[in-house]
Amino acid sequence: MTASEQPQETLEAEDIQGLVLRGYGPLAAARFFLLEVVNDDRARDYLQKLCGRLNLASISPETTALQVAFTAQGLARLGVPKSALDTFSREFREGMDDNVRPDILGDRGANDPSTWEWGRQPEPIHVLLMVYALDDTTLTQVLETERPSIEAGFKIRHEKETITLTGQKEHFGWRDGISMPKIAGVPPAVPAVAPAERPQKKRKESWTDPLPPGEFVLGYRNDYQAFTECPTAELADDPANHLPVIVVGNETKKSLGRNGTYLVYREMTQHVIELWDYLEKSSREPGKDPAARAIALGAKIVGRWPGGAPLITSPERDDDKRADENDFVYEGDESGLRCPHGAHIRRSNPRDVLAVEDRSHDASKQMVRKHQMIRRGRAFGRPVAETMNPRDILAARGKPDHERRGLHFICLVGSIERQFEFVQRNWVHSANFDSLFKDADPITAARRSSADENPNDEFTCPADPVRRKYKAMPPFTRLVGGGYFFLPGIAALRFISRHP
Amino acid sequence: MHKVNAGLTVLVRLKTDCVDAASALLVELDAHQERLPFAKSATTHFATITVIPAQKYGDKPLPAMLLFATSFCGPTRVHVSELVRIMGDGLREVLQHCERFEPSCSDDELEDFLIYHRHGDTFYSGMQGLSPADVQQHRQLREAIEEFIDDREAHGGFNGSPLVVRNEIQKFVLSRPDLAWAEQPVEESTRAWLVFHWRSLIIEAFLAALIFCTGAWFGGSSLFGVIAACGWIAVLAFVVFVAVMWLSIFEAEHDQTYVAARTPDDRARFLAATQTRPVINEFTLAGPIKEEGMLRPAFVKVSLWVIARVVEGVPWMPYVGSGINIPTVATARWIAADGGRRLMFISNYTNEGIAYVRDFIETRGGAMRINLSFGFGRGFPKTRWLLWDGALTDPNAYLYALSEHQRRTLFWYGPYRDISIDNIKRNRQIREGLFADYNEDQAKKWLQLL
Repeated sequence: MTASEQPQETLEAEDIQGLVLRGYGPLAAARFFLLEVVNDDRARDYLQKLCGRLNLASISPETTALQVAFTAQGLARLGVPKSALDTFSREFREGMDDNVRPDILGDRGANDPSTWEWGRQPEPIHVLLMVYALDDTTLTQVLETERPSIEAGFKIRHEKETITLTGQKEHFGWRDGISMPKIAGVPPAVPAVAPAERPQKKRKESWTDPLPPGEFVLGYRNDYQAFTECPTAELADDPANHLPVIVVGNETKKSLGRNGTYLVYREMTQHVIELWDYLEKSSREPGKDPAARAIALGAKIVGRWPGGAPLITSPERDDDKRADENDFVYEGDESGLRCPHGAHIRRSNPRDVLAVEDRSHDASKQMVRKHQMIRRGRAFGRPVAETMNPRDILAARGKPDHERRGLHFICLVGSIERQFEFVQRNWVHSANFDSLFKDADPITAARRSSADENPNDEFTCPADPVRRKYKAMPPFTRLVGGGYFFLPGIAALRFISRHP
Repeated sequence: MHKVNAGLTVLVRLKTDCVDAASALLVELDAHQERLPFAKSATTHFATITVIPAQKYGDKPLPAMLLFATSFCGPTRVHVSELVRIMGDGLREVLQHCERFEPSCSDDELEDFLIYHRHGDTFYSGMQGLSPADVQQHRQLREAIEEFIDDREAHGGFNGSPLVVRNEIQKFVLSRPDLAWAEQPVEESTRAWLVFHWRSLIIEAFLAALIFCTGAWFGGSSLFGVIAACGWIAVLAFVVFVAVMWLSIFEAEHDQTYVAARTPDDRARFLAATQTRPVINEFTLAGPIKEEGMLRPAFVKVSLWVIARVVEGVPWMPYVGSGINIPTVATARWIAADGGRRLMFISNYTNEGIAYVRDFIETRGGAMRINLSFGFGRGFPKTRWLLWDGALTDPNAYLYALSEHQRRTLFWYGPYRDISIDNIKRNRQIREGLFADYNEDQAKKWLQLL
């Protein structure tokens, strides 16, 4: 029986935080707080009150939304028993700054955790509070109300501002958030997107069938038709019966993970001018429009045109009608002449062309489905050009620019190791992905130069009659902080915030 | 001399009081590889030397063993002679900890010792037909061509059809004396073909003869009838044998009580730390099989035999073509040791541990194949009729069981540090196609390899 033939489980939307099902696009203003618990009782009081105030997956918010997640350190600080903590995934408990992670995540050199502004020991980060609002005015009002309660129980270690850029774009100038996995099991009554999102977000079908809920939400079957490892607690740890009972092997436990998910947060700065300068200088050709050449090379390294149209279906020019297209596969472009093998979107989601044992496109899809992520990132910092038009960004070169800008990369996964870390190590950072020799992700990878044992600072662009190689690419992003969080279900939040 | 890739797997009992000393020595040698200079070997792709600890199959003790495993090319005797010639003293130093080994033995006796203790294995190579020198030369060729193209691109690029461009590349290669070897045609040796396929050829010849005799029998020949009847009885006996074993396994599957539990953190971290090379890593598993089912050890051997035949593929394919193609694996082998009671697996592969073993279970077919090999291991999740359930429905337990059986490789030689097995295959395609007789379309596809 294949995954799609399995009886479909239905998500308990009233126990799941809304971020799992929606990115709150219409709530254009947001702020993220990285908190340290300093007053246990007041912190618990605040979290308990949040249980009734968090936006749930069953409701599309109109004006504001609150979401909350915890680090392993935070769960321990709030009194989650060690026996329960030990049932969380090892990656989550170790944290993103653990000394085994840089090899896995490619966080070396300028991205090494030792250089981070937050997220590395010994700074205590316990809680991530995410506040979304319709606009800046509403956000200011919400924060005015919220801040005293927060500061009563927590020390605000970092407060992260966000910005919504024109045209659903990220700072480099590309339309973002187009390729999002579809989740099966969403109750029919639950709107998948907020009402205001619907007209723009009317997308074509995805490249694959909806994924079982267990790929992203703990306590449900995943794409193996099995259960992802799910945190549990002992019966005795939950006398107030906040948590549902489950049977694990021969033992009866309480499910702490059900309706929760892991949240990966990486804050990276984007070197927008450096990228466009590199693109323009590397693509110059006498008599040709330099901006058009730079944009065309940019499309090659990303795999989509800045407007969003994929190179696979629109190889020659950007096309507004294809801005949200996501139902394409790479079959027929094995040579990479349309979309290079090393392009950002192809290597971070190879769809049907992953090299697999029987070389079949279907087998590739089966494998790639098991490494999907729900992305919920937000940009920060003023853009180089408010229009987000690449030509305007190019024209802004040479002007004074001291703005710090980038992306709060946030993704939700059922398994940090199988989904986020696997993609980072084997697809994004690998110099040898898909028969390439020295190419890592041209946009997001930390570079290893030719002096390294395994350099990855090239980009190969297949062409007729022969490919063009772009060498000694500088890094265009830098990681400045990050952490692994657990975004609990509401019942689990009640348990976590209980007073001992 | 042919270049068929094979596995040399030597398993020797360690003296009970020498297990720690052997382990310590291998760690030391790993840090000082000049004392076991595989880099001087013209036949060795990879080498793994480690200690398999004493284990138990039910109540039966399984002894501590020295596992010496190379992935090599060419005739076995040539490979073993070369190893003894290059590193005889180092081998004696290692083998002195083994039972029945005489450290003062001559080179001939050392060769005989290694050959005598050679253990059967089911071997797969993703570089079948290549020698270590081929791998390095192919890489050198590709890098030289890449530089030539880069230089041309920087000075106006290429003009003309794919055949014209390829011709320019050919001229460049011909102008380089150090690449003169690339002009030679790729050898398709009949001997290599026979060496690789002889077992499959015997089976195919038997089946062909059986069909012929059966036909003749129906045509009225009583002599061929007798031969055909004997043949069919043999086939039937084999089928019954397998069916009986299969049924006994089905019974045993029901009785299985132990399934591996979540890997403790310390062990998971320890294992992860052994898989940190950037491109190619090595992975050794060794552990007892499931205790339930008297015939299970025999079935392990039969399964590995069947897998070996699948790996060999069908004889009329070129010897470089195999029945399977695993994109991430350079070489791998399964070993049914201790009479089939202990299963071992060694792989030299592109990737790191967990991601690599996940590859096998992410498709339905892959998970079923895993059930048929690793599924025999103790702690592996319950299978149903050997193929179903198991890793297919309980991937977590599959990963836990592998972690439980994974061994630290004390000495590893792997010369291809920064190129993946995919890269090696692509370099080979570039070399084989460089002077091949191609039309425009083929030339275009060849250029896309660069």
